[in-house]
Amino acid sequence: MRPFRPQYFLREARRSRVRQVVGGAHRSYASSATNPEVYDLVCVGGGPAGLSLVNALRSNGSTSHLKIALIDSQDLSKISHGQHNASPTDYSNRCSSLTPASMAFLDTIGASPHLNTSRVRPYNHMNVWDGITGQHITFDWATAHGFPSLEPNPITASAISSAESKTIAYMTENSNLVSALLARSAALDASTSHPLTLYSSTKVDNVELGTQSEDPEGVDLRSWPLVTLSNGATLAARLLVGADGPNSFVRTFAGIQSRGWDYERMGVVATLELESPTAAEPESATAYQRFLPSGPAALLPLPGNYATLVWSTHPSYAARLRELNEEDAIAMVNAAFRLSSVDLEYLHTISSGQADEVAWRLQHTQFNNDLVPPQVMGIKKGSVAAFPLRMRHADTYTGERVALVGDAAHTMHPLAGQGLNSGLLDAAALARTISDAVNSGADIGDTLSLEGYNTARYAANHALLGAVDKLHKVYSWQSGPVVWGRSLGLGVVERWGGLKGLFMGGASGGA
Amino acid sequence: MAPIHRAVRARKAAQYVTRQPQRCAAAFSVLNRPPPSYEGHIPLTTIERGAMAVSAALGSLWNPYRGDLISITGETTATPYFIYRLRDAMLRDPTGRRILRDRPRMTSKTIDVKYLRTLPANTVGRAFFEWLEREGVEQDSREQVKYIDDEECAYVMQRYRESHDFFHALTGLPIVQEGEVALKAFEFANTVLPMTGLAMGAAINLKPAERSRFWETYLPWALTNGLKSKEVINVYWEEQLERDVGELRAELNIEKPPDLRETRRVLREKRRAEKAARQAQ
Ligand SMILES: Cc1cc2nc3c(=O)[nH]c(=O)nc-3n(C[C@H](O)[C@H](O)[C@H](O)COP(=O)(O)OP(=O)(O)OC[C@H]3O[C@@H](n4cnc5c(N)ncnc54)[C@H](O)[C@@H]3O)c2cc1C
Repeated sequence: MRPFRPQYFLREARRSRVRQVVGGAHRSYASSATNPEVYDLVCVGGGPAGLSLVNALRSNGSTSHLKIALIDSQDLSKISHGQHNASPTDYSNRCSSLTPASMAFLDTIGASPHLNTSRVRPYNHMNVWDGITGQHITFDWATAHGFPSLEPNPITASAISSAESKTIAYMTENSNLVSALLARSAALDASTSHPLTLYSSTKVDNVELGTQSEDPEGVDLRSWPLVTLSNGATLAARLLVGADGPNSFVRTFAGIQSRGWDYERMGVVATLELESPTAAEPESATAYQRFLPSGPAALLPLPGNYATLVWSTHPSYAARLRELNEEDAIAMVNAAFRLSSVDLEYLHTISSGQADEVAWRLQHTQFNNDLVPPQVMGIKKGSVAAFPLRMRHADTYTGERVALVGDAAHTMHPLAGQGLNSGLLDAAALARTISDAVNSGADIGDTLSLEGYNTARYAANHALLGAVDKLHKVYSWQSGPVVWGRSLGLGVVERWGGLKGLFMGGASGGA
Repeated sequence: MAPIHRAVRARKAAQYVTRQPQRCAAAFSVLNRPPPSYEGHIPLTTIERGAMAVSAALGSLWNPYRGDLISITGETTATPYFIYRLRDAMLRDPTGRRILRDRPRMTSKTIDVKYLRTLPANTVGRAFFEWLEREGVEQDSREQVKYIDDEECAYVMQRYRESHDFFHALTGLPIVQEGEVALKAFEFANTVLPMTGLAMGAAINLKPAERSRFWETYLPWALTNGLKSKEVINVYWEEQLERDVGELRAELNIEKPPDLRETRRVLREKRRAEKAARQAQ
């Protein structure tokens, strides 16, 4: 944890309009509710979205002078430390696929060189199939290429088109990404005179609007959010960014409604050891996803023989999966990609003996060996966990001196692996909007200044959430016309390229 | 455990040799018929299957005692959908799964009639024995399944066929055509196998009095009981022989229909008495 740095204060802005309100907020004493430390930007949440926003601002000449504080209740140094000491046979169960657009953004903000590449697995094949009808699509970059990238952000659009890589996405642990973003931030601290104020292991306890105007020399803090931390400090924010995940405190403070529904599904995650890698060469690999009526099961490649599981299923099934002994749990994961949904349903109801049942059923079940992932041989101890799956979308991403990014703004089903990616694109867009505001001399906390961010991301995310939600629903049906349609369906989707686009983050901008 | 059950277990899976899963059976022509999936299997093309289904169904309507034709009708109409439904019904049930795993066969060789005779009167085994006696039939080997491509589904068909006489014993329905039609209606509602529905078409062969009995009594009984009862394919008969038959019926949620043989006997006697009375006049 970095010590609080009272000696830094808001830099004098170059334009007159900003100068009026900036003044000389010079503080050399500890902040309190009556004497808050004043920041241009306070970011609550040091997850992928928050950290990448801060790095984007600090890497850009127009915004690198902004006085920024970032607060996270977790001990962020632990994440970096854990990554540095992790063994090549030990992977965290929280992994995400980073699309080429996300990678390009991480390049732009200088974070990708800090990624531990030995812990990143690019994949260029994807097998997706329907657990009821057996319809499948197998695609690689060559076939998936050729439909337009719909991401409007110039930072990422140029990178996508210039990508010579045949990669669909890059799998890595969320901790590798967070640790790279932290390392980039530390490198910037060393090279600039505007270090980041980082409050790690510190919770935001309260946010309220400033009521009193400061002394004539100071900033008029009326209508500024005042953020009270668990260590007693109070920060005043010209712009308060909520990057604090699905149960966003900042969103609640801003009175922004978030609408949607719970899927009544849990995402079961685990770190898997496979019989063999999904592809011989380290730079190519295959991701697998099978749509079962209870939800999709996905096996995504990590380096070597490792893979990560994301299995969306009923809460009762998820609870049962977590209670199984290793042998039975391994059998269930193998069954998820091979056995009929009737068998799986039954296997979810028995408390033990899955290994024996699965061995028998595999002898009588026809499946396409070329389509399914290599056999799972082991599950990392303690890596089986479950997360509730929901869909939520905030009514707006911006308010007076407030902006939301990442899961604080939208939460989606993980079936397309786009939650984190869309959060990174939010960060890229917000950083751009802030930079535009600074360049035009506007107050970065002004609703009008923030408008551009809402425009850039809201409709795109809405389309993405809708597409993901519909896919979940279409594949939850077990019989009837929807299934007949589906047996034609994946074929149609395949030709249309929509599903491929979704997985590659390209469907987010609508048609 | 009944000795017979042990015998059955020992013989399990004798002829359905487990194969490695094969790719979906692709379309083929009569010139390149694929190899059989199990002993006795005859792969058919779609056209052959359709033609056989139609001719066998018509044939068995005209001649309901042609068991071979009924078998063919059953097999050729059970795929691609219905036999999978029945197999899945078994896979959803713990006992059904055990049957599929053990693959017991019920033939005159595996069911020991002498042992059945020694069982107490209220048992399933004894009811079966008495039904055999009353109907004057033998638990003979049923026709071997040959036209169903999936080896597991072929077993399901075989099992269904071999369980049929136990359905007779459980319901007490006689093997006269009227009883068969009623039982088929029950099986249709319970298994949804199309052949059982087609076999109900044999109702057109019934005499007017039988037909009205069918419509008024046995068809309603068959449909309600077939639908409300558990899947009868999931009964491990070999394990139920010493069980109280009323208890099993209650467990399966099946009511016993009016005794058809008794009804027919009473009516026959009444007619005879009426005739005698008329002649005496
Ligand atoms: C099972 C599962 C699988 C997934 N797989 C993928 C995938 O393959 N690809 C993908 O793109 N996405 C995936 N996602 C989604 C992805 O994990 C999230 O979208 C992403 O983590 C969101 O990042 P974020 O920075 O917005 O929020 P978070 O990662 O939730 O970060 C929020 C941070 O805010 C901090 N915080 C919260 N409240 C406070 C407070 N009051 N005070 C201080 N700090 C606070 C928290 O400690 C946390 O560090 C998956 C999600 C699940 C559940």
